[in-house]
Order: sequence, then structure tokens, then C-alpha cells
Amino acid sequence: MKTNFLKLSILALTIFITSCSNDDDKKEDTTPAVVTTKVSNLPAPQTGGQGQQPAGGEFTRFSFSENKIVTNDNWDIAFRGTTIIVNGGVKYNAEDAGEPARTGSGAVSVVSGTFASVNAFPAPATFKADAASAYAFPTGADAWYNYDGATHIISAKAGKVFVVKTHDGKYAKFEILSYYKGAPATVDPLTAESRYYTFNFAYQANSTTTF
Amino acid sequence: MKIKITLFAVILFIINLSAQEKQKDSINVNELSEVTVVTATRTERALSSLPLPITIITSEAIAKSGVTRLNEILNEQTGIILIPDESGFEGIQMQGLDAAYTMILIDGVPLVGRSSGVLDLSRVSVGNIERIEIVKGASSALYGSEAMGGVINVITKRPKKDIVEGSLSYRYATFNTNDANANILWKKKKFSANLFANFYSTDGYDLDKTTVLKNVESFYNYTIQPKLYYDFSENLKLTVSNRFYNQKMDNVALIDSEIYKGDAKENEWNSQIKFDHKWSSKLYSEYELYTTNYKNDSFLNDQNNVLYDRTYYNQWLFRPEVRTTLSINNNKLTGGIGLNYESLDRTYFDKDVKFNSQYVFIQYDYNPTEKWNILAGFRYDNHSEYASQLSPKLAVNYKFNENFSLKGSVGYGYKAPDFRQLFFDFTNPSVGYTVLGYNVAEDRLNQLESEGQILKRIDGISFDEPLKAESAVNYNFGTFYKKNKLRFDVNAFYNSISNLIDTGIVAQKNNGQNVFSYFNRSKVFTYGAEFNSTYKFTNEFLVSVGYQYLIAKDKSVVDNFDDHKYIRNAELQTIEIKKSDYFGLYNRSKHTANLKVAYTIPKIKTDINLRVFYRSKYGIFDSNNNQILDKYDEFVNDYFITNLAASKNITDKLFLQAGANNLFDYKNPDQIPNLAGRQLFARIQYNF
Repeated sequence: MKTNFLKLSILALTIFITSCSNDDDKKEDTTPAVVTTKVSNLPAPQTGGQGQQPAGGEFTRFSFSENKIVTNDNWDIAFRGTTIIVNGGVKYNAEDAGEPARTGSGAVSVVSGTFASVNAFPAPATFKADAASAYAFPTGADAWYNYDGATHIISAKAGKVFVVKTHDGKYAKFEILSYYKGAPATVDPLTAESRYYTFNFAYQANSTTTF
Repeated sequence: MKIKITLFAVILFIINLSAQEKQKDSINVNELSEVTVVTATRTERALSSLPLPITIITSEAIAKSGVTRLNEILNEQTGIILIPDESGFEGIQMQGLDAAYTMILIDGVPLVGRSSGVLDLSRVSVGNIERIEIVKGASSALYGSEAMGGVINVITKRPKKDIVEGSLSYRYATFNTNDANANILWKKKKFSANLFANFYSTDGYDLDKTTVLKNVESFYNYTIQPKLYYDFSENLKLTVSNRFYNQKMDNVALIDSEIYKGDAKENEWNSQIKFDHKWSSKLYSEYELYTTNYKNDSFLNDQNNVLYDRTYYNQWLFRPEVRTTLSINNNKLTGGIGLNYESLDRTYFDKDVKFNSQYVFIQYDYNPTEKWNILAGFRYDNHSEYASQLSPKLAVNYKFNENFSLKGSVGYGYKAPDFRQLFFDFTNPSVGYTVLGYNVAEDRLNQLESEGQILKRIDGISFDEPLKAESAVNYNFGTFYKKNKLRFDVNAFYNSISNLIDTGIVAQKNNGQNVFSYFNRSKVFTYGAEFNSTYKFTNEFLVSVGYQYLIAKDKSVVDNFDDHKYIRNAELQTIEIKKSDYFGLYNRSKHTANLKVAYTIPKIKTDINLRVFYRSKYGIFDSNNNQILDKYDEFVNDYFITNLAASKNITDKLFLQAGANNLFDYKNPDQIPNLAGRQLFARIQYNF
């Protein structure tokens, strides 16, 4: 009786150790999962616009790899008011001094889903770069935001994830959470300060197919 | 003109002559003991075999409840709920359909004067109501446009016996509310008359004392309704009925932190002239001429008493109609023709507009055997502004025995695009958006473009095809059961509504605001079941329970749910929701119920009337920005309202009543602006 029990325990132990090893091996094969970083209160001021004078002012440029606002040509996306541009293609408005010239090969593709569910890169044909008088980031009914005419609140549409090919060919995904300073859960239209972006992003420097 | 009068007199003379030649048919006693209704078929017929869902409110029920206006008594019925729309106007919702889809009749003829489609039912006093008949389900086969959700007919009292009788009553309630009624009925042989007068005034109420605006400003109104009846003979009877209504309300507005004050006046006149003509025992006709005018005039002055804003609304309806019913054995064939001439002159319309339509309807009330009743009919409307409509209806009732019957019906209903949806031209002075009616939008947009006001016109919008009428197919299936002390009826319904007209953006203006117009946008379906039961424990104790289950959803949301499946949670992260999380349309509760107890305390001969109403939670706006109402949005909490009244007859002539509406003072000032809090009242009535 005791011998059988001993044999059984040794068998169980062996199996247990072997299984553990297999798991460890599996983990070493995959690339490290991307980290989600939150950017808060990125200012995106704008002069004019809204049908009065043409929109003006400097776009705020952002780099995913450096995770900060930059003033050089190594930017991936840039913000001004509700407009977002990507560092690829050509200027939307050649006469606009505040709009930076495109210095990279960036492009953007729109995906529906929760932020965590976007893992595979979208098909290359879905990526668009800025063109003259045509933004790569959709505007109008497909824009990243909804505007409520009654309350004048701009709310970021849920489930809209932008996959950006950065200026140097890497990939990042980002989802805008709020357009207001402090990213309040309920926006008070009388006191909230707009044109401050809060967004989540994940930067993938190593893979060319998935996040 | 003279020729017309002569012709009219000649026709009248001939009718009179033919009426007097026939002998009066003898006894119709059996019909008298049976409860009869008139609204469902436009003929007088038995209620017990009616194949349509109908609710009847008797004058005793109205008196015992102690309410004074029509909207209050309707709100107490199963399956009918009063809801304020976005503009704050209160209307009734039936089978999940909005107020604009129910036709309101007084003595068989419609009320006009709807603000944004909603008819303000507090205009009608209940002081001289004999009975209210509510027919649910699409009834356009008889009544035409607006009878998509159903028809409510308020039947006023008329003298039956050769005496003079009447009543005077006065009621005082919270908020300094006064309601005084005088009702006199007089009949002498061939001539009878009824004079009703009502005066109502209140200070209104204010749920939020911090703001200068009240929820309801103070107002007063009076109603005078004289009716005359003359029986030329047994076979020719004349009814001349007039109703005058006049209301003056304080008008207060807060614009850019400045207070503006003024008045809002409402004036209404309804006039009905009807001949009931019995050609023979099998054939009778009704010739009716109905005219109504509704006027609304309001102004606002600034603090220096200088006129700031003035709006007016003036609507006329002129309707002659002829109906004839032929009795063939047990069955009745009814046919009618008529025409509608309607005009509306109001601010925000470029010029006054006119509608012309003609209609014809036919209905066959068929009783092939004792057990079967089949109602089939249709109506054809030919209209000057929108496509003609054919509205058919079929209803069947099977009577298993005296205690139990089954009924089912299918019918088509429609609601024509109204004046506002076709001709509106309004720009909001403070915000700057513009709303244009469909028929004027193209021209006005071109005009705004030439003035340089348009930033960009939305692609793919065309006004070439005429705006279609909203239409519905309605199915009802129910049973009726009664045995000894118990009565109950159940009705399951399904409405499939298409071409709902809603606003949509047509252009963006240079000031950042939008231009809207009206389009046939959505498909909506509603379904549910309504249950009503009454149990008469004894002659002194009666309990009734009512319940309605309702689901109302937008079909395009259900079909394209992927467009709405992402929302943000409290941490602003996107989450995905399921199709089953879609709650439905706004302002609709899944469950509404009522419990009514009527108890007479024998020793002091006092009637106690207790009503408890329940409304389950409902949504009023989309709080999580996925453009639909889902279970994660903010809802208005469910609530109970209790109304209690005690009444006593002191001698035959004196009637006293006291009570409380909203006994437990339930209020929700932020979300339910039309719930006023507890109102105590006392009433005294003298009958002579």
C-alpha cells in the first residue's frame, strides 16, 4: 500500500514539475504585451474657428515613443481644438502657419472595439494619411466626438480606437477619453475647460502585426 | 346665397316629410338593459360583443374620484399615462404611442389646437361628462388621421326626462385652486336644453423655489357649453351644441438672466349642428356640420413694459359629414362621407396655410350567428398635401357563452404630417438654430445660402418626394370573462409603426448652429398586454386591479445595434453592451399598475375611494452618449402615487367630498416637473 502511494506521489510530482516548465517555455516565446499609458490634459488651444475667422494657432504635437509633447519633427499626431492630424501625407491647408509640415510616413486607421480588444493591426489599405483639404482622421458624422447642440458638450465616442502608424513606421493605438481638463465623468458645460485631451495609448515598437 | 338657402330649406322639408310618414317602431327595450357604446363603430351597439378593446369611465367614477379636468381622470386609467414631452407639454400615451397619435373627441367631433402635436387635455372640464369611451388601437378606418393609437370620446350629459334638473358645485384645493360648476338640464316635450358653465383658477405650483420661474404659472379659465335639442318628430331630431373656452395664464420667461413677463391667452370655440334622421326602422342618417376654432395669443414684455416677443396661433377646422346606417337583419352597414377644410395662421409660418381633404368610409357590423360578431371596414382619405390613405380594419369577437368571449382585431392607422412639420420657419433668437418645415425647406435653404448664412449643406438630402404620413399596423387580441362577482379582461397588443417623422440636420450655419427639417426617419414597434379586473365583494366593497406591460423599441436600433454597443463607464473606459441591454424608447415604463378600492361605510353612508398608481422606472435622455436608452443610462426612479377621496350624500340634494391627491406628497422636481406634490381638496355640490 505504502509503495503504491509513493509511486503515485512521485508520478504526480513529475507531471507537476514538467507542466510548470512548459508554461515557462511558452511565456518566453511571445513578445512582451504592450503597456497602456494614459495621457492627461494635453492642451490643444485654437484661435478663431466655428464659422467666424479661420481656425489658427499652433497644433500641439505628440510623440508616442517619447510619451510627451514635442516641438521638433519627431511627432506622430497633433491636436488643435477638435482637429487631429497625423504626421504623414501633406498639409491640409498649405496657408495655415500653425499646421506643421508632414515629415514622416504616418497614417491612421479607425477600428471599432474596446481598447483592450484591438490586438491585430488593421489591413494596410485602411490606413490614410492627411491630404490637401482632406483629413485622415474622420470628421463630420464619423468624427471622434459627438457634439450635443443643447448642452454644447463634446463627448468622445465610445468604442472608437485609432491605430496610428507612427512617423517612423511603428504602431500605436489610442482612444480619446475626454476633451475637458481633469477628464470629469460628468461635464458641467458652465465650468468645464475644453481643449484638454485625455487619452489612453499603447505603443508597439517590436511587432509589425499585433499589439 | 338666396338660392342656397331655398335649396337647403327644400331639402330639409323633404326630409321632414319622409320622416313623419313612417310609423315609430315599437319596443327596443332589450337594448336599453344592455350597456351600449357609440365610439367604436359610430353607431350605438352592445358593449359585451364588441370586438375592440374599449375602456369606459362613468360619471359616477369621475364624481367619486374628485378630479376636475380631463387629463386627471385619463391618467388614472390602466394603460394610459400622462407624460410631458421635451417642450413641457403634457399629453397622453396609449399602447406606447405618443400623445400626437390619439384623437380626442367631444361628443364625436375632434378637438384641434395641438402644440407640437400634443393636445392639452386640461382644457376640458369633467363637470358635465356623462361617459368617456376610450377605444384603443388604430381606428383610422373610421376616424382618419390622428387615430393611430386610439380614440377618446368625451360624451357630455343630455337631458333624458321631461324635467328641469341640475347641479351647482364648488371645489377648493391646494395652490388656491378654485373650480365652480353649474349644470342645468331642461326638457319639455320636443325641446330640451343643457347649459354647462365652469370656472377654474389656480396659482400654479413651484417645485424649485430658487428660480423665478414656476413649473406651472397661475391661470384661470372658463368654459360655457350651451346645447339645444329639438325633436321635430320621432324621426327627425336636431342638436345644436356650442362650447366656448377661454383661458388666461401668466407668461414668464428667463432669457439671458433677464425676466420677461406677459400673458398667454387661449380661446376655443366648437360648434356642432347635427340632424338625426330616421328614414325607416332600418335606415337612419346623421347630417353633421362641425366648426371649431382654436386661438392662442401670448406676449412677453421686458422690465420696462416694452413688448419683447409676441406669438400667435389660429387654427380653423370646418367639417361637414353625412353618415348613414342600414340595418340588414341583425347586421348594420354604415357609410359616411365628409370633407375637412383646415387652415392655420401662426407665427413662424411664412403665410397662413390651408389643408383640404375629402373622405369616405364604410363599415359592416356583421352578426352571422349569436356567437360571432365581425366588424370590417375601411376609410379612404384624399388630401391636398400628402399621399392619399386607405385605412382598413377587421375585428372579430367570439362569444363562447355569457361569461367568456375572445376578440381579435387588425387595423391600419395613420397620422398625417401636420402643419408644423410641413410649413414651420423658426429661428431660435438666443441660440441661433433654425427649424424648417419640409415643404418650405428647399426654398428657404436657397434663400439662406444667398444671404451667406449657410456654411455647408448636408449631402444626399432631397425634398423632391412629398413627406409621407406616419402609419401603423395594429394587432389586438384579448379575452373578456365575467362570473358572479369577478370580471376581467386581458388585451395583448402589437403596433408596428413606420415612417415616423422626426427632425434631422440639413445644413450647418456660419454661426456654428444647425438647420433642421423633418423627415420620415424611423420604424418603431410597441407591444405588450393590458389586464383589468374588478371584484365586487359586496355591494359596498369593490376592488379593481389594472396592469400594463409595455415594450417600445426603435427597430433601426435593434437591427443596427453594433452602432450603439459601446459606452463609457464611470472611469471613462469603453465597455461593450449587449443587445438585450437596449431598454427602448424614452418616457415609457415597462410596468404600470393601479389598484382601486371603493368602499361604502354603511353606518355613516360615506363612500371611500382609494386609488394607488405605480409607474416603473423610465428614461428621459441618453446619459452615456450611445444615442439610445440602455440599462446603463440614468433612469427616473419608479414611484407610487396615492389618491384618496371620501364623499357623502346628505339628503338627495347635497353632496360633500373631501380628499387628497398624491396623499404621500411624492415629488421629483428635477426629473418629473408635472408632479405637483400633495393637493388637498374639499367639494360641495347641490343637486336640484
